[in-house]
Amino acid sequence: MSTDPNEFDLIVIGSGPSGQKAAVQAAKAKKTVALIERDKVLGGACVHRGTIPSKTLRENALRVKHMRQNAELSNFVLAEDTEMATLIDRLDEVLLAHDDYMQRQISRNGIERIHGRASFVDSTHLKIEKVKGETEVIKGRNIIIATGSFPRTPDNIPVDHEHIFDSDSILSMLYLPSSLTVLGGGVIASEYASIFQALGVKVTMIDRYPRPLGFLDEDLTDKFVHNFETSGGTWIGDTIVNKVSWDGLSNVITECEDGTVVKSEKLLCAAGRLANVGDLKIENAGLSLNDRGLIPVDEDLRTEVKNIFAAGDVIGPPSLASASMEQGRRASCNALEISIGKMNQMIPSGIYGIPELSSVGLSEQQARDKYDDVIVGKALFEEIARGQISGVQDGMLKLVCDSEGKKVLGVMVVGEGATELVHIGQMALLADADVDIFVESIFNFPTLAEAYRVAALSVIGQRSAGTNAF
Amino acid sequence: MSSTNTALSAEAESLIPQLETALREGELSVPMLPEVAGKVVSLSQDPDSDASRLAQLIQGDQSLAGHVMRIANSAAYSPNGSMVSLQQAITRLGMNLISDIALAASISTKMFDAPGFEEHIDRIWQHSLTTALWSKEIARICRRNVEATFLCGLLHSIGRPVVLQAVIEISRDKQLPLTREDILILESTYQREVGAKVVDKWEMPKIVCDAVLHFDNYEEANLAKDQTTMVNGGAQFASHVLDPEALDLETLKGLPVLADLNLYQDEVERLLDMKDAIASTREAMSA
Repeated sequence: MSTDPNEFDLIVIGSGPSGQKAAVQAAKAKKTVALIERDKVLGGACVHRGTIPSKTLRENALRVKHMRQNAELSNFVLAEDTEMATLIDRLDEVLLAHDDYMQRQISRNGIERIHGRASFVDSTHLKIEKVKGETEVIKGRNIIIATGSFPRTPDNIPVDHEHIFDSDSILSMLYLPSSLTVLGGGVIASEYASIFQALGVKVTMIDRYPRPLGFLDEDLTDKFVHNFETSGGTWIGDTIVNKVSWDGLSNVITECEDGTVVKSEKLLCAAGRLANVGDLKIENAGLSLNDRGLIPVDEDLRTEVKNIFAAGDVIGPPSLASASMEQGRRASCNALEISIGKMNQMIPSGIYGIPELSSVGLSEQQARDKYDDVIVGKALFEEIARGQISGVQDGMLKLVCDSEGKKVLGVMVVGEGATELVHIGQMALLADADVDIFVESIFNFPTLAEAYRVAALSVIGQRSAGTNAF
Repeated sequence: MSSTNTALSAEAESLIPQLETALREGELSVPMLPEVAGKVVSLSQDPDSDASRLAQLIQGDQSLAGHVMRIANSAAYSPNGSMVSLQQAITRLGMNLISDIALAASISTKMFDAPGFEEHIDRIWQHSLTTALWSKEIARICRRNVEATFLCGLLHSIGRPVVLQAVIEISRDKQLPLTREDILILESTYQREVGAKVVDKWEMPKIVCDAVLHFDNYEEANLAKDQTTMVNGGAQFASHVLDPEALDLETLKGLPVLADLNLYQDEVERLLDMKDAIASTREAMSA
C-alpha cells in the first residue's frame, strides 16, 4: 500500500450505482480508494435525474390515479396549473436521505471522495479538474470507469430544455403541461408516457417500432398499451419522425414521415442513452469505443487495457441500476484479484410504468425461438381475489415452461406490484424448480402471488392428460 | 430582523418600529400588480392560451403594444425591422418571449413613487432584468427549469423599491428627515422579507416566492433551491456586466455560487460568450 496521498489501489470514476458499489467493495478489502464525481452530490443520474426522481413522481401519479378512480369517495380533481414541484414534493427528502446515506457509507469506509472532472493522462494517471479550475494528477494501480450515460439527442430534435426536453431535464418543467409528445418506445419513454398520462396530461407516444417495449412479449405490451389508451393516451407505432420544431407560439410540432402532424405543449425525446465518456480522453489510456459508442469489456468487465475496468451504462445493456451495482462490485473484485463466482445472468428487468411490467428468464418468444415447443400458463389479475379487492384488474402473470410443462424458463408480469412479484418466479428459476412448486407451496391469501398458482395450474393442465392432480 | 443598526441615524432608528409593524401586519403599501402583467402571467400559465389572446391582451394597452412592437423590430430580434403587426411579432418571436417583454415592460419603475430615487430604482430594475436574462442561460446550461427563471430573476429585488417607497412615505408622515444613506440601509435590511410578501400578494408561483425570500441564502430555499441558486448566479453575472469594476471577471469566476452551481470553467466561459447577445436583448427589452 502506497503512502503517497495521490496514489490509490483503485480509482473509481463516477458515483452512480456501479461506481459506488465498486468503491465500497474495494474499501472493504482494505484497499485505498478514490471516488471521483463531477457533480456536487453523489449518486449520478440514477439518483438525481433518472430512476429515483421518476419513481417519486410515479408514486404521486399513482395516488392521483387512485383518487380519480375513487372520485365518488374523494371528489378529487387535480388543479390544471399544478406545479411539478408539488408532484415531486417528497423528492428532496428522498434525495437528502439517499445522499446522507451514501456520504456516511463513503466516509465510514475511508473512501477519498474527489469532486471534479477526470480525464486520462495515461493508463494509470488521471487529471482531475476542480470546479474552480484547479487541477491535480492522481495515480491508480487500477481504474474503474463508471461514468454512466446521458440522453441521446437525434440531429432532428432540437432539445432546448424549455419546450423540448430530454429524460434528464423533463422533470424540471414548472407546470404539468396540458399535452406531451413522447418520442420513443423504450423503457424511459414508456415510463414517463404512462406516468404523465396518469396525471391527466394528454400524452402521444410515437415510435418507429410497431409496439412499445419490444423486448417483452406482445400480450404484455398489449396490456400496457390498452391501459395507456384507456387512460386517454395515444400510441402511434411504425412511424418515423422527420422533424420536431417549436412553433414560436404555444406548440411543439412533430412532423412524421407519413404526413402525421402532432402538436403538443411539450415534448420529451427519449431516444436512448449514450456512454458518458466525453470528458475522459480515453484515447490517452489506449482505450477506444466500439461501434455502438460503448466501452467494450470482457466477461470480467476488463477493458482492452489490463488495469482498467468498466461497469454500468458505459458498457451498454442491460443498463439497469440493479445490474450496474453488481457489475461495479465485480469489476472491483476482478481488479483487485478477489475471488468471485460467476455473475448470474438471470437479471430481472423492471419497467416502472403505469402499470408496472417485469420479466425474468426467457420471454415466450425467446423460448419458442430456442426450444420450438413450450407450454405457457397465464393468470389474469381480474381472476385473482386480491386483484378484485384492490382494483388491480388490468394485470397478468405468465409462466413459460419447457415442452413437458415442468421446468420454468421465464416469468413475466404486468400490473401493479409486478416488479416485486417477479422475484418469486426468479427464485424458482434460480432453484431450477419445477412449475409444481407454485402449486405445492402455500402463499398468503388473498395476495397477487396467487397468480403463480393459477398460471402453474394452467401449465400442469396442458401436460399429457391423465396423470395430474389439480 | 435587527432593529438596531449603528450606521443608522437616530431618526431612522425611530422609524423602524412603524416600518416593522406595517410589515408584520401586512399594511405595507404594495403596488398592485399591473393588470396587464397579471394577465400575462396567468395567460402564460394557462394551457389553453394562444397567441391571439396574448395579442388581444397587449393591444388593450396602447403604450405596451407600442413598446412590444418597438422591441420586436429592434436589431436584437429582427435585423430587418420588418414586423408590422403584434400577431406577426408573436408568431416570429414566440409567445413566451413576448410574455417576457410585456411583463418586463409593465412591471416597471413607474409603479413606484419614491421621489429622488428614480435613477436608483431604474438601476435596480436594469439589474433585475439582466439577472433574469443571465439566469435563463444558466438554467439552460444546467438543464434546469428555463421557463421559471426569467420571472424569478426579474422579481428577485422587487422588495427594494417597495421598501424605498414605504420608508419615504413614513418619514414624510412623521416628518423625520432621513439621509440618503439611512434610506438605502433600510432598503437593504428589509428588501428580502418585503419582496417575499409582494410576490406572495401578487400570487406568483411558489417557486418565485421561495427564490425571492431565500435569494441570499439559497441553500435554505426548500422547493426552489436550484432555481434560487441559478438566480443568485445570474445576479452575479449581471453585476459583473453592468459594473465590471465593482465585480471583475476573476472575482466573478471565484464566487462560491458558481461552484455551487457546479459550473466548470469551460461552462463559465461558454456563458460569458453570451455576454453581447444578452446585452443586446437587455437593451432591446428596456428600450
